[in-house]
Amino acid sequence: MSEMKMAESNGLRLLFEEPFYQPVANEVGVFMAAWSRRLPVMLKGPTGCGKTRFLEHMAWRLKRPLVTVACHEDLTSSDLVGRFLIEGDETVWQDGPLTKAVREGAICYLDEIVEARTDTTVIIHPLTDHRRHLPIEKLGVEITAHPGFMLVISYNPGYQTVLKDLKPSTKQRFVGMNFSYPSADVETRIVVKEAGLDEKRAQALVVAAGKARNLKDQGLQEVTSTRALIYAGSLMAAGLDALEACTAAIIHPQTDDPELTEALLEIFRTFFPEQP
Amino acid sequence: MSAATEDILEHLAAISFVAGRDARAALPAVASLGAAAAVRYLETGRDLFFYDREAGKGFFHATADLVKAFGGLDPWLEQARVFLTQRGTFRAAVGFFEQAGAVRRGWGVEGEALWFALGAAWIDRHVDSAASYFRVPTAVLFGDAGIEGLRALLAPADALVRSRLGLGTYLEGAIKVRAICGLDGVAEWTQRGVDVLAAGRARGEAWFRLESDEARGFLLEVVPGFHPGIHKRFFGLLLQAWTGLQPPLEEGDWSQEGGRGFLETDGRSLFVPAVMPDREEALLAFYHTGAHLAFDSYEQGAIRLLFAEIGMEHPPLDAEQRITWRPLFARFGEDLIRFQLIFDLCEDLRVDAALEREMPGYLARVLRASRQRTPPEGAAGYYYRRAMTMLEDGMAGRLPEDLAALTTAPAGIVDAFRAALTWYATTDLPPVSLSERARAYLPGHSPNAARPVYPRRKRASDTPEMDSGDAPGSTGREEKLREAPQRAEGNDPDTDIPPENIQGAGGRVGVGMPVAAKVTGRRRGVEGPPGGWPYREWDYRHQRYKENWARVHERPLREHDAARATTIAVAYDGTLRRLKRALQAQKPTRMSPRRRQYEGEAPDLEAVVQFVVERRAGRSPKADIYRQRRPQHRDTSVLLLADLSTSIMAEAGDSGVRVVDRLRVAMLLFGEALGEVGDAFALYGFASKYHDEVVLYPIKRFADKFDARVRALLGGLSGRLATRMGAAIRHSTWRLSESPGQRRLLLILSDGRPADYDDGGDVRYLQEDTRMAVKEAQDLGVHAFCVSLDPRGGEYLPRVFGPGHYLVLPHLDSLPARLPEIYLRLRGHSV
Repeated sequence: MSEMKMAESNGLRLLFEEPFYQPVANEVGVFMAAWSRRLPVMLKGPTGCGKTRFLEHMAWRLKRPLVTVACHEDLTSSDLVGRFLIEGDETVWQDGPLTKAVREGAICYLDEIVEARTDTTVIIHPLTDHRRHLPIEKLGVEITAHPGFMLVISYNPGYQTVLKDLKPSTKQRFVGMNFSYPSADVETRIVVKEAGLDEKRAQALVVAAGKARNLKDQGLQEVTSTRALIYAGSLMAAGLDALEACTAAIIHPQTDDPELTEALLEIFRTFFPEQP
Repeated sequence: MSAATEDILEHLAAISFVAGRDARAALPAVASLGAAAAVRYLETGRDLFFYDREAGKGFFHATADLVKAFGGLDPWLEQARVFLTQRGTFRAAVGFFEQAGAVRRGWGVEGEALWFALGAAWIDRHVDSAASYFRVPTAVLFGDAGIEGLRALLAPADALVRSRLGLGTYLEGAIKVRAICGLDGVAEWTQRGVDVLAAGRARGEAWFRLESDEARGFLLEVVPGFHPGIHKRFFGLLLQAWTGLQPPLEEGDWSQEGGRGFLETDGRSLFVPAVMPDREEALLAFYHTGAHLAFDSYEQGAIRLLFAEIGMEHPPLDAEQRITWRPLFARFGEDLIRFQLIFDLCEDLRVDAALEREMPGYLARVLRASRQRTPPEGAAGYYYRRAMTMLEDGMAGRLPEDLAALTTAPAGIVDAFRAALTWYATTDLPPVSLSERARAYLPGHSPNAARPVYPRRKRASDTPEMDSGDAPGSTGREEKLREAPQRAEGNDPDTDIPPENIQGAGGRVGVGMPVAAKVTGRRRGVEGPPGGWPYREWDYRHQRYKENWARVHERPLREHDAARATTIAVAYDGTLRRLKRALQAQKPTRMSPRRRQYEGEAPDLEAVVQFVVERRAGRSPKADIYRQRRPQHRDTSVLLLADLSTSIMAEAGDSGVRVVDRLRVAMLLFGEALGEVGDAFALYGFASKYHDEVVLYPIKRFADKFDARVRALLGGLSGRLATRMGAAIRHSTWRLSESPGQRRLLLILSDGRPADYDDGGDVRYLQEDTRMAVKEAQDLGVHAFCVSLDPRGGEYLPRVFGPGHYLVLPHLDSLPARLPEIYLRLRGHSV
């Protein structure tokens, strides 16, 4: 994968080099339309299908800095908004990532928003409608978003999150964009480009993954992702034996079930026979 | 011709016209051996004919072949006299005369002498055994092991004389056993068989016929080779990955002709043989047979066209709605097997080529496996080698035009049939007998028309791609309809209500309050309003609810079995302890500090800093600066709703294990695990019989303790009636809404799609209703999640429960350990 050049301006990431993204449908068009009206966007899709990469690509295209927050169970609203700190004898207010993005006009990306506590989702509500305000209770102010600010959340409807679904009232504030694994041709191009693998092996990798994805109901929480394919391709391009690369990058991370492992191995072995 | 020969001929003719004619016809073959020889020959013939007419006829008919094979009369003429020593030997004699020539040619003087001696020895002991012996096709009898092999095969049989077991019964089994596990295996198998026979006649015979489980079990122990039976899930997964199909895998025949195990299909299920030579051949067999299913070898339209091709009406389906192939081949008469083999060559070429497009390298694998095996001798060898040549030519693009057409995507089974007809008309392939047929197939291949088939529906897509069956509405797979629950057993004693349809015409439909018809006097333990809690039901055909349509009753379960509960607890002690240990190991995180409390054991540093900072800034912050270590109050409550319909009494997966057996264990472990976690939980079972008798069986309510009573109820769980899931979900949702938790989970455990007696066979009706019930539950803040044991669950669960809200566990054995784990993962607590 190519190193992406970025600049740190005021703690915000600005991408200089185009992150590779292969459009699958009209997702770029939809996003641009949402951007032109500053509507918040929700990216839905399974793990490793390119949600984050898409957003990096769009940030580069729009020449906006990107602020990414990986949400977790203990993420509180002050983690997002900001807090007072002591410096010497003084107390200093420090903006949280969300506030920073709102002030500077960045794209704020809340990754896996369902993982965060429900109170955090409430504070983003006023940012998502026509008001575009962020109330900061501790400062007693409400700041209006910079015209370049945009809110994007991601959301992976996997079975781990049955109990942690987003509230309908939250969901409906967003423009939803569904991501899934790309078609074989597109995915091959992605693997070639990202992993630096020759087209023949990349194609075999993608076709094999297509077969492996048929096993989605058989105890696999997540099926083989494009990211896993890129990893496997990278390992191959680095000189590792193909089957070993698939085992290491695709099969082992995916399942502990011995029979599933064997079945997946057999599928990849068909495309990458062991060298005698 | 000498006077002596003329005398004998006249004598024979005087006794029987046939004898005279046959003898005279046979005589030229022996004429060249001299007059004395001819007399000797005719005398033996006459003796045999007088002794037994059929034996004599067999003698004269086979003469030409025998003289040619032996180069004279010795020793077969002398050997033939053995059939004069006992009455009733004619069947043995006919077998001898028919086959002796072939034995002499195939195994030489010595082989023939042994073959004869071994059989002759039985004439004194048991004539029928001798007959069975001489009638076994010698190619099968000798097998690959030659003369010594034959001796070794027959050696153990002597021990059976005392047990009065016929040689025929022995040979039938022994030949299969030899093919499967060699001569050493035969010796051991016989030795144990003698003991079994001593213990009981019927049991012993079943052993030698390989019909009993103990014989199969024994063979599985000693048999070399690969046992696909224990890897069924692995093969099932591969089939699903490659074809998108999930055909049931059933036990196939123990061994086919000549002892070779074939994977077969009836268009719906795959029949898995007990033993295959190795893993590679098993894999190839699954791929190849799966490809037959995926590429429409058994598609109903194609089969109809096949019959049209020979100008025949499609024959009527048999009682089980299957098509039999016989009429298709009938016109080939005795040469049927040759045509079938040619047809299989063409059809296999088509299917293999199609598979190669999906699975590059498949043809090379088949070829590699084929080369590793020595091609069979005799006629079968021609087919075997031809099949290999076809694959080689196919890979090199050298096939003749008509065969090459079969390797293109649009080719169908009808094209293969036409190619086979053309080929058959000009074929140089030799005729082949049934006993040789099995050897003619390449590894992984087998007779395609071995079983009557359930015709399959066509795939929707024009471009054949194996897993295109996945697209909704275009499923290539057959629905195996869930069997209607039995009325006989397990019926709820409280109900006996006549059937009713849901078509909304007549009956009690729409006439106000439905009242359960004949529930009289036996409402012990019945709760709720009279006639049950009314619930609406969604009718997708009219796109509206039928108000107060389903009636839910809560009744206690009567069966309980504390002893079984204890047995289970003992048997699963290890699993349970592992589970509890895992939960306890998680306790520190469960006891995780609660931040920002007003009181607690230790200061919450971050909060303290914040507090000080805000004080300095002149604000008056709240003093929530402590951290507490306390079990985190997760506030999750769960209701486990188990499908208790009749189908759980069925065996599933590995033989002998019923769904209910694992269900009991799973629910017990679930209860124990939940007790450890401390979440509020309830256990309910449900079953139904018609829309107004949906019964929920509370096993443990939220307020109940998980105690000996509950365990005994779980130990005694059994199946009854049908599965009206929607009403059960609506009632459970209401029960859950009374529970203490804030996050509410309804965990449904089922083994099949929703169905009831009165759903009119419309699979979709109750599915759609269930989908609505799940949606209603969601609106009320109850999350429904379904754990299904139905391997075909993937077909309807996404629609009913929504993607990500179900899990298919096709591997029944994993249920007990997985169920608690699934729950814990759902509530966000990894084990």
